[in-house]
Amino acid sequence: MSGSDLFTGTLDILILRTLQVAPLHGYAIGRVLREGSEGVLSVEEGALYPALHRLEGKGLLEAEWGKTDTGRRAKFYRLTADGEAHLRTETARWAEFSVAVSSILGSETR
Amino acid sequence: MARWPFLRSFSPGQVRSDVDAEIREEIELYLELRANELEDEGLSPEDARRVAQERFGDAEEIKRSLRKQAKRTRARRETTMTMSGLKQDLAYAIRSFRRSPGFTAVAVATLALALGGNTAIFSVVDAALLQALPFEDHEELVFVNGYHLTNGEVAIRGASFPEFRDWNERSRWVSPMAAVGGVSLSATGGDGAAEQLSTEIVSLDYFDVLLTRPALGRAFFPEEHAEVDAHPVAIISHRLWERRYALDPAALTSEIIINDRPLTIVGIMPEAFQGTDLANGTDLWVPDGLVSLIASPDLLESRGSRFLSVVGRLAPGGTVEEAQAELDVVARDLQATFPQAHEDRFAQVQEFRDGYLGDTGGLLWILMGAGIVLLLIAAANVANLLLVRSHSRTREFVLRRALGAEGSRVAGQLLTESFVLAALGGAAGIGVAVAALRILGPMIPNGALPGYVEAELSSTAFLTSLVVLVLVGLATGLLPAASSARIDIATRLREGSKGSAAVSLRRIRPQHVFVVAQVALALILLVGAGLLTRSFRAQLAVDTGVELEGIIAMRISPPNSRYDTNETLWNFSAELERRLGELPGVEGVSLSSRLPFRGGSSGAYIFREGDSAEERIRFHRHHVTPSYFETLGIELREGRLLNDDDRGDSSGVIVITDAMARRVYPGESAVGKMMSLRPDDGMPVEVVGVIEDVRYRDITTSLMEEANSPDVFFSYWQMPSRTLEVAVRTNSAATVVPAMRTVVSELDPELPIFQLEPLEEGRRTQTATPRFAAFLMSLFSGLAVLLACVGIYGVLAFTVGQRSQEIAIRRAIGASGVRVARAVVGDGLRLTLVGLLLGGAGAVAGSRVLETFLFGVEATDPATFVSVAGGMIAVAVVAAVLPALRAMRRDPAEALNSD
Repeated sequence: MSGSDLFTGTLDILILRTLQVAPLHGYAIGRVLREGSEGVLSVEEGALYPALHRLEGKGLLEAEWGKTDTGRRAKFYRLTADGEAHLRTETARWAEFSVAVSSILGSETR
Repeated sequence: MARWPFLRSFSPGQVRSDVDAEIREEIELYLELRANELEDEGLSPEDARRVAQERFGDAEEIKRSLRKQAKRTRARRETTMTMSGLKQDLAYAIRSFRRSPGFTAVAVATLALALGGNTAIFSVVDAALLQALPFEDHEELVFVNGYHLTNGEVAIRGASFPEFRDWNERSRWVSPMAAVGGVSLSATGGDGAAEQLSTEIVSLDYFDVLLTRPALGRAFFPEEHAEVDAHPVAIISHRLWERRYALDPAALTSEIIINDRPLTIVGIMPEAFQGTDLANGTDLWVPDGLVSLIASPDLLESRGSRFLSVVGRLAPGGTVEEAQAELDVVARDLQATFPQAHEDRFAQVQEFRDGYLGDTGGLLWILMGAGIVLLLIAAANVANLLLVRSHSRTREFVLRRALGAEGSRVAGQLLTESFVLAALGGAAGIGVAVAALRILGPMIPNGALPGYVEAELSSTAFLTSLVVLVLVGLATGLLPAASSARIDIATRLREGSKGSAAVSLRRIRPQHVFVVAQVALALILLVGAGLLTRSFRAQLAVDTGVELEGIIAMRISPPNSRYDTNETLWNFSAELERRLGELPGVEGVSLSSRLPFRGGSSGAYIFREGDSAEERIRFHRHHVTPSYFETLGIELREGRLLNDDDRGDSSGVIVITDAMARRVYPGESAVGKMMSLRPDDGMPVEVVGVIEDVRYRDITTSLMEEANSPDVFFSYWQMPSRTLEVAVRTNSAATVVPAMRTVVSELDPELPIFQLEPLEEGRRTQTATPRFAAFLMSLFSGLAVLLACVGIYGVLAFTVGQRSQEIAIRRAIGASGVRVARAVVGDGLRLTLVGLLLGGAGAVAGSRVLETFLFGVEATDPATFVSVAGGMIAVAVVAAVLPALRAMRRDPAEALNSD
């Protein structure tokens, strides 16, 4: 269902990371992800929403309706304390994982 | 969010449309902003919109998935909140019970006792009234009881063989039908000792009626029933097979000596089958072709020899009513055809269960009613305790409400507490029930319940009590919850912690209603117990005319085969009486055909001098040795007793009872009158003496009633009896009982001894049912009084606590402690009196259901009512004294200074 075949977890971490800076609405999160990954992680853009709602359901995000700069009503997502903690542990795990993966890949190419 | 979803106002439709709109709005915003972005990159507005939608993917699919997710999330959140709330409530409930162990103990004990008692009783009722009888398709089985109806009095007597055959031939609705003669025969020979076997002499269709067959071997062949004395065969029970043959299959086809006649065992019944005598079970079955085992084969043709019970199965589609209507016609035809033998003779069709239950059925329903009343009292008590407690916790609730707890939250808390109480009480109640059955089970006297009843905890009883428990839990919890929901925080905070002054007795409050109800219900049970106890005492107090205490009785039946003449029987009897009389410690010995309350009766007819056949008088025949009257302590009223000269061929003499003398010879002396055993002065006998009235059977009907045939005593030495009841008067039963056995076995080692026990036993069995009923009712009413006491005490203690300031002010302005205490006791008495008035009215109405079970006391017996009400008042005063003392002792200064 989620567009990311890579890892559901990857999209989740990226969303959480994006929201570490400031509460954002869905379009803004999507834009950060698209531009930040320079199109590498281009997926079906709609897949963002199930992920957002799932994270909200788990209590890692909380959502509130507010106004955009242009005065449009929009749903803003914010990291909760649980989300912050989750992000920290997942980041650490990701780092370990990527070191392990790249050390193997690196040794092969060398 | 509300903790108790069912208490919350709830409209799912509203919630769903909100969620849908938000999802639509969120996605629409994305598409719009994305399209703007693409437009900025140079696309036309139309293309931008299209590309934005393409990149987004299937928007409808995503929306659907979001909606589903929203639903799941909401559900999960509600569960977590409710669960954690429940956990909190439970923890809180347990904490608060720990803080008030007294309250908790009383409430749990109340529930446990009432539920336990009720479960135990219901288990017995269930076993007796509802559980299956040990017969295949037992609902179709009926008894056909022959009875005599004279002047409105019904006397059930067995059927005769010819009568049974008439019924069987002419009844279409009871088919098949079989006759059963229950007798006791002696088994000797083989490896086993001489013993008395309960035996059923059965007619052709017996096994077809009961839908059973021998587990080993075969049932009887038709010719074994039809051909008299031609086929010496028997079928034995599984337990006899086990006891006498150690389950050896060779028992089949072997011979067993029954009443000195060898019978071939052709079948062994299944273990579960015990014949129609469910109380004692049956060990031996013989076909009615062998009726000569117990009497002359003439029995098969004698209309006057009524000793058979008749069982049958309703034909398919038949009902008891149809069968009854049919047999009514048959009975009237028989009356017309045999005007003498069938005078006043009828037949009654009765379902098996009713037959086995007899009077006990009604009594069990009454006991169950009493159990339910007890449960109501307990429920009122617990509700009362919770209510009083919730009042005294007003401050706690107000505080919690003020701190933001919703009203429903507080109510939920109370509900949880009630359930915890109900669960504790329920668990303990099952324990009490098990213990009650274990302790009371063996106390249930023999004969108080039908033989098939086993007092075990039934799962139906358990489940029923569980349901009641949940209902009680809800009812008792919701009342305080309702009253706490009414708490108006602002008012309460202003009024101070003691709550309102509305707790004075001057206003009717739910807890007062509960106390009144408790007292009323307890009084009803007490009256019931009082009446049953009085009735039981009255039965015990009936003068039987016999000094039962100190007499050891036994029964022996010298068989025809070895004692084939009167002389051999007399010789044996004389020697037996002499040897028993010489035993050390024996004060008197007598032989007779019957002893009181040991079952059996043989009826016959006697005639006054000159009377014709129509004026016959039915009587119970006794053959007694002359020492009989002295041994049993029966007093002479007029004339003389039998003596040693009344023997052999001397002229026939009889002794009659006072009641018979008054009935047969009203206004004149019976002594010297001639009577006869045949109409028109055939077989004359002379009345030589009149003794005091003696009770041999039922003790509750008047001896002057026509249905109660009088007893007539013949000299044993003029007319011997095949059944010998031996009475030995002694003070040292422990040594005499074994010596009695020795004497019999020295005289005839083959002769089994039957029912060797104190003569009082029979009397005890006869009063077993009333004793049991009185005992249980007393137990119930005792518990009820105890609970009502707790109720009275609880309310008064609470009132005193609430009114301590008012009391202190009164004391401060000069009221004495005694006066204050008197006021408190007065409050308690007022509630009790109202309860007694209501309960008294209820008892007057309710005690009528007891009427048929009462003997020697009216259902509205004023003495019982007054003494029971007096007792209740005394107990109420005791319950009120403790709170009164507390009110009296409280230091006024302290009370006034407290908040």
